[in-house]
Amino acid sequence: MPLTSDQDYFSAFGLTRRMSLDPADLEKRFYSLSRKLHPDNFYRASKEEQESSLEQSARLNDAYRTLRDPFARAEYLLTLEGHQVEKKGSGVPPELLEEVFEWREWLAELRASASAQTESAHRVEVQQELSSAKTKLGQRLETSLAELQALFLRWDHVLDAGGSPPEREIVLAEIGKVLAKRSYLQNLVNEVSEPLEG
Amino acid sequence: MAPIVGIDLGTTNSLVAYMDRGIPRIIPDPDSGPLVPSVISVDEQDAVLVGRAGLERLVVDPHSTVFSVKRLMGRGIEDARQEIELFHFPITSDSQQVIRLKLRSQVFTPPEVSAHILQRLKLNAEKFFGEPVNQAVITVPAYFNDAQRQATKDAGRIAGLGVVRLVNEPTAASLAYGLDKRKQGLVAVYDLGGGTFDISILKLKDGIFEVVSTNGDTHLGGDDVDARMIALVIATLKQQTGVDWSDHDQAVQLIRRAVIEAKHQLTDQQAASIAFALPDAKRTRVEIPMTRPEFENLVRPLIERTLPPVRQALADAKLQPGELDEVVLVGGATRMPMVRHLVEEIFGKIPHTELNPDQVVALGAAVQADILAGGTQDMLLLDVTPLSLGIETLGGAVAKILLRNSTIPASATQMFTTLVDGQTSVDIHVVQGERELVKDCRSLGRFKLRVPPLPAGMPRIEVRFLIDANGILNVTARDVRTGTQQSVDVRPSYGLTDAEVEKMLLESFAHAEEDLSERLAIDARHEAEIVIHATEKALAGPAATAISSDECLRIETALNELKRVLPSDSHELIRRKTNELNQATQHLAALIMDSTVKQALEGKKLEDVK
Repeated sequence: MPLTSDQDYFSAFGLTRRMSLDPADLEKRFYSLSRKLHPDNFYRASKEEQESSLEQSARLNDAYRTLRDPFARAEYLLTLEGHQVEKKGSGVPPELLEEVFEWREWLAELRASASAQTESAHRVEVQQELSSAKTKLGQRLETSLAELQALFLRWDHVLDAGGSPPEREIVLAEIGKVLAKRSYLQNLVNEVSEPLEG
Repeated sequence: MAPIVGIDLGTTNSLVAYMDRGIPRIIPDPDSGPLVPSVISVDEQDAVLVGRAGLERLVVDPHSTVFSVKRLMGRGIEDARQEIELFHFPITSDSQQVIRLKLRSQVFTPPEVSAHILQRLKLNAEKFFGEPVNQAVITVPAYFNDAQRQATKDAGRIAGLGVVRLVNEPTAASLAYGLDKRKQGLVAVYDLGGGTFDISILKLKDGIFEVVSTNGDTHLGGDDVDARMIALVIATLKQQTGVDWSDHDQAVQLIRRAVIEAKHQLTDQQAASIAFALPDAKRTRVEIPMTRPEFENLVRPLIERTLPPVRQALADAKLQPGELDEVVLVGGATRMPMVRHLVEEIFGKIPHTELNPDQVVALGAAVQADILAGGTQDMLLLDVTPLSLGIETLGGAVAKILLRNSTIPASATQMFTTLVDGQTSVDIHVVQGERELVKDCRSLGRFKLRVPPLPAGMPRIEVRFLIDANGILNVTARDVRTGTQQSVDVRPSYGLTDAEVEKMLLESFAHAEEDLSERLAIDARHEAEIVIHATEKALAGPAATAISSDECLRIETALNELKRVLPSDSHELIRRKTNELNQATQHLAALIMDSTVKQALEGKKLEDVK
């Protein structure tokens, strides 16, 4: 069963667009397809077959990389369903606005105070604050994953019931919101993780 | 057909291995056994000496001898500044070009030096199999970037070897360890070699070896340990005698040899001494004692540099150290007790060391070769790309298009258009690395997309970046409007062009294969002549009267057949006819068992007769 470029990632694995995926089942499908398509199996084959194996195997790996990660999978679903993803930089999601602002301010102060002080004890303190902030933000990211998984169940429900396009669109929009929120949280985590200057 | 061999092209030593009915084995070198020192030297007659013979010249002629060339593969001169300090041979190149090494009147690029080492291994394998060997799986550090991989592939080509696959060293090691297909679970491979460090985390399940994450440092290994010890010895001498030997290259090489010996002793002993004779008029003996704790204090900072990559690999795999089922040690430098303790401490487990850490990578390469040849089935390696791939965007920033630890082959497509009306080309700069700015990443190459002259923003060129199973980038482009494909030639930033590789190949090894079959034919002829001589002698002797005329005729026929094919160039034909004659004379040989011609007629003991 060859993988073709007009096939979506779900059907490449013989799956419907249900979003609640069992990772073990996906892995099993991935391994079994890899055994069939990997270039190692085509070393003694014709040049055409080798090229086709390389193409298909790359596509299989791209598909697995996308589907195994819930966030990448969600983004892929939005693209696949033609949902318009809001452009980056179109603004912080309103419910996050205040929080993001506070985090940024706190970070800027912290960094300024760290570079003003050369005393190592103080720097250690700042480092500790940063790492506890990272843990807190990490928890928020966990929450966004739980939110996403709840939406996956809703989506699957709509899909199984043969939901109309508007019904689908409602869930897709919700998924889009969680993704946007997460992307801001991820940026904050990255900022917190940056090493102190000096 | 000769098998595909597996080659570990190491910083310090190189090895070649093959799969013998399901068991990987090393093919030894006549001079140095399993390990071939990765050293080449050019002697007074301008001859290139490889391996042990090259290593022996390191002390007497340091300026014409190259070691650890792996550290220079695929790098520009700016990029390799730090490494160059370790070397004594003259290095020349423009800042944007491939490094060139001048050894006497000859100039070598790093891939050419590696090619000489590969050619030696190739010849060893050919002698072993008695036929040409043209294909190999070669291992590279997992953390090697595209340019370093490409340079390794070029080296193979220059040596007349088709590189059928580049395999990451830690992954190859896991194949050797995982031959037992029932092995399941999460495995960490900690690989500290002569010049590079890799950490790879794998998931083993039903014969699938899936690399989950990898990380490393391509500037870290046993060489650096030696350099620290050498610096210490030089400082000690300066302090005690006031003489600074640091610019005396022969002295430095003598010290290098002595510190390596002491380092090896400190693996099993609590104390050793760095002993050598200075190259002064009196050949002054120097002995500097060193205890293991002193040694460990000296090199601890180096060993601790392996920690951040280990942590990053664990984080990327989303694993805690305790979750690993097994830990495997690879590379000669992991013999240091301090390294073992550190690894034990990190993972809370006794690491595996059952397989020789110097040989396990080559053995694994042989397993991968056998997988490709169709011998070993139901084992499959799924490796990853160690570094993120990106393209330069406005302001020198990097847009990542494929993240590190993506399973390979992997691909990504990007759409490009124009900013100015009538623009006919778009420049694309591909980089590898994790940082946000182009200047902090490794430049892989640049290419120009041809674009039809249209109003700005109208052209739509889809570019596909594909990393193949070797971890090497391939680029193709397609005009979305017209559907026309265009070939993309990525000019490597620090690499050789195809034409350059081709030229090196013609200059140095064009006749290597002819030479080989000629040599094999000469050997076969030589052996045949001995058998012919012995047979004729036996037929003239007393034992010949005891055999039937039928048997005598059979022997004479076989003898004449062999004489007839003797001038042939086909070593196979000569050997076949030699064997036929040996068969025919078996009975005669048995009859004259006690006579003096016994050794010669048995055929198998020809070595003694020669």
